[in-house]
Amino acid sequence: MGKEWLIFDGGTGTILQSRGLRGGELPETWNLRRPEDIIDLHCGYLRAGCDIFNTNTFGANALKFPDDLEEIVTAAVNLAQEAKRRCGREDAYVALDIGPTGKLLEPLGDLPFEKAVELFGEVVRYGSRAGADLVLIETMSDSYEAKAAVLAAKENCDLPVLVTVTFDGQGKMLTGGSVDSTVALLEGLRVDALGVNCGLGPEQMIPIVERLTEVCSIPVIVNPNAGLPRTEGGRTVYNVGPEEFADRMEKIARMGVQAVGGCCGTTPEHIRLTAERVKKIPFREPVPKRRTVVSSFSQCVEIGGKPVIIGERINPTGKKKFKQALRDNDIEHILREGLRQEDSGAHILDVNVGLPEIDEPQMLSEVVQKLQSVLALPLQIDTTDPAALERSMRIYNGKPMVNSVNGKKESIETVFPLVRKYGGVLVALVLDEDGIPSDAEGRIRIARRIYEAADRYGVPREDIVIDGLAMTISSDNTSALVTLETLRRVRDELHGHTILGVSNISFGLPRRAVINSYFLAMALQSGLSAAIMNPGNEEMMEAYRAYCALAGLDPQCMQFIEAYAGTSDRAPAERTVKETAAAAASGPVNGSMGLKESVLRGMAQSAAEAARIALKDTAALDLIDRDLIPALDQVGKGFEAGTVFLPQLLMSAEAAKAAFEVVKEYLKGQPQEVKGRIVLATVKGDIHDIGKNIVKVMLENYGYEVLDLGKDVPPEVIVDTAVRENIKLVGLSALMTTTVVSMEETIRLLREKKPDTRVVVGGAVMTQEYADAIGADCYAKDAMATVHFAEEVFGA
Amino acid sequence: MDLSPDINEVVRYLGYRGAEPDDSVRAEITECIRELQKAVTPRFVYERFPLIVKTESDGTPLLCLGDLEIRSRDLAKNLEGCCGVYIMAVTLGPGPDRLIRRASVGQMSRAVVLQAAAAAMTETWCDQINERIRQEAERDGLCTRPRYSPGYGDLPLELQKDISGILNMPKEIGVSLTKTLLMTPSKSVTALIGVSDKPSESRGRGCGSCKASANCPYRA
Repeated sequence: MGKEWLIFDGGTGTILQSRGLRGGELPETWNLRRPEDIIDLHCGYLRAGCDIFNTNTFGANALKFPDDLEEIVTAAVNLAQEAKRRCGREDAYVALDIGPTGKLLEPLGDLPFEKAVELFGEVVRYGSRAGADLVLIETMSDSYEAKAAVLAAKENCDLPVLVTVTFDGQGKMLTGGSVDSTVALLEGLRVDALGVNCGLGPEQMIPIVERLTEVCSIPVIVNPNAGLPRTEGGRTVYNVGPEEFADRMEKIARMGVQAVGGCCGTTPEHIRLTAERVKKIPFREPVPKRRTVVSSFSQCVEIGGKPVIIGERINPTGKKKFKQALRDNDIEHILREGLRQEDSGAHILDVNVGLPEIDEPQMLSEVVQKLQSVLALPLQIDTTDPAALERSMRIYNGKPMVNSVNGKKESIETVFPLVRKYGGVLVALVLDEDGIPSDAEGRIRIARRIYEAADRYGVPREDIVIDGLAMTISSDNTSALVTLETLRRVRDELHGHTILGVSNISFGLPRRAVINSYFLAMALQSGLSAAIMNPGNEEMMEAYRAYCALAGLDPQCMQFIEAYAGTSDRAPAERTVKETAAAAASGPVNGSMGLKESVLRGMAQSAAEAARIALKDTAALDLIDRDLIPALDQVGKGFEAGTVFLPQLLMSAEAAKAAFEVVKEYLKGQPQEVKGRIVLATVKGDIHDIGKNIVKVMLENYGYEVLDLGKDVPPEVIVDTAVRENIKLVGLSALMTTTVVSMEETIRLLREKKPDTRVVVGGAVMTQEYADAIGADCYAKDAMATVHFAEEVFGA
Repeated sequence: MDLSPDINEVVRYLGYRGAEPDDSVRAEITECIRELQKAVTPRFVYERFPLIVKTESDGTPLLCLGDLEIRSRDLAKNLEGCCGVYIMAVTLGPGPDRLIRRASVGQMSRAVVLQAAAAAMTETWCDQINERIRQEAERDGLCTRPRYSPGYGDLPLELQKDISGILNMPKEIGVSLTKTLLMTPSKSVTALIGVSDKPSESRGRGCGSCKASANCPYRA
């Protein structure tokens, strides 16, 4: 592979159909029922001159063949071997063909990642045992599923692993992946070759192949369909004949790819002509591209061009609230921190959830997965716990940044094998067993050692980013200079990329933002490739944007103008104070009037502001009783009367919440009353949780603490939580009649294990009769009805 | 392609029952539609099958669409006089689900508006593919019937499995079924559209033709 032209075979399904395969019939059954047809199929391609041909196992997995998978896969490999013998083509390679499961993986669908790895792993074990020469994972339209398949292949055999994926005409996979993000992911997983198949004809694939050959450092495979399909008398036919196909494939071969073949609609004749034409073209080996790229399921960030901002806020260090959120398993708090940083302009988010008293592997992997379900920024996995690192890298959808390795032997031996296996851009701290060198020379020496370790472990040097270590100037006056020199020397002598936790530089000083923003500009000028910082810090963002504009990295200063057009040169802190004063002066004389009005109108910012002002001369509890609660009640009554509608109800709830948070902050230290604790869950099998989330917002507003168990929650989890936490009220939601059965099951189990717990149910298909039939205590037709029932249970 | 839903439909999905939303809600709807338009990846797949209607011994109509057999009185009524059936599946892709999940973290008011707007956009997308099918049928001299989906009337949700297989939905449009037969991405629709050589008196689409219409909060 990568040394000479390799020709793949062509379509299977279309040929089997012409031999009588019926619609809906599983082609893999023919391995047992009609073996001669399968051998004939292979022989057609072998005689046409293909070098690699696929076993008839595209859809073979335990979901489709729960009973006879081993038999089917083993037969498929045997038939391929038999075809080789009959055609005298002992030189050809048998590829164990692996297609998608047909299920979407969590969090988009309901197939857990590890379950997918298991399903693929089973096929790989049978296929390699039967004697396949390599594994071809193909027609993947979800990069996450492709990752599961690659891990399964690598963990269950030593054969070469090749992957081809399917893009649409816009160059996107069905779940949003692009050529760049797919290449980053698959090269990171160290596959032996990658490429594209199915979905498009050769002509439509050309722009995709162009990009593939630009970014890919390993051999590229191109297996198009025979043009575009149309239905003719109930049969699918394709519009590109063998001659035309070979023409186009010759053009594609000249673009610098290393292997070609066909997919749906192509026949041995397509492949014969293609092989003839392509093998006359001089072969070009793939060229390493030396790009430093991290990716999510859809986005890529390249390090080494325009400097990159890595948001540092998902980290408990020095944050009381964040620590509490971790202890309470309040993932939403963490997600909100992530979303805020994305809005502020971060390109990558650092994720650190290390606290001594929590199960870090579990927490970190859960946070990584949940963050990826709400935002598309690539993540930097930040932990010193090897188990947490591996578990998170494994379930990460893309090629992550990894924070970090250092020059210590133990660190190198733990972290590099993980990066070798799962892929990632690795942050390397220039410290070792002797501590942090006080001069740049010492730091460069450690950097060199880490690069050498990368070579030894087979991790490309471009996947290392050197952390020059910013140490506060308050204890050592020259420390910034040493850091800056380290950055310059990594750039100029080692031709590497650099990263810094910028704000450390000012630790212990007043007005840290001043030092931080100047230091950031100096570091960028010294070659800093990535800054770990708080993107919500306006001074630092100003320094960053100004640097990019000045350094010619912001064409026409567009981004600078977009960020600052129409703003004044006054310091942001000053601005806020003055504007607030002006607003207060022009607003209602009594601040608390403003609060009620703000909640009624659903304006969160103004509600928080009004609460802040009112607290100056009003007792906190008065504010709650006189303004907040009456406002909420008024909106709630309006909702029930049909004069206020759901969006307004929620907007008011959010405004009230913003005000409550201000009040809570004010009352910090005083015991705060919780009216009651309620478990909410969307039942097993159901993944529509919007209704449950609405109820949660309303309950919290009325002072209840909600333990939100999420969606698709098994009955046992709900019941165990109710028992463990001694819960008096459980709320269950289900959207479909098909999932009401899980609701019934949950209630039955709850009655058995914790008979004193009351149950309120709701959801689109739910009715009073239905609720009665499954034994619920209350049917709530909407969020307010749930609030009323909670008041009944806990006493208003 | 232009996927602009009727704002009044979005308002209806939000449960307004004919009331007028205020300006802030209207602005939110417009903003959500704009955000969704950037996030959607609309796809579709459909295929036409000949229809043969048989009757089982207990009197239940048995509808044969190629190799597929469906037992349903309500669908049989919808397809009365038809000679063929289009089976279609459409989706807006995973983008809307992601936006809704994102908004659910801390701003549920936006999540419900996104949800309603995405639902209306799914209908708009269905209408566009439905229209394409109508035109295709018209070229063959056929008229189409109102579309009918699994879960309507007595048409079982189980049918989703067959439709998914026949249209190869996971591969063609990226829609797969959960164990409980829900579609993911959630902004997806499957439907059957009958074709006949005779125009039918328009058996209404919309709320009038729905059994549950009396107490429905979404009633137009």
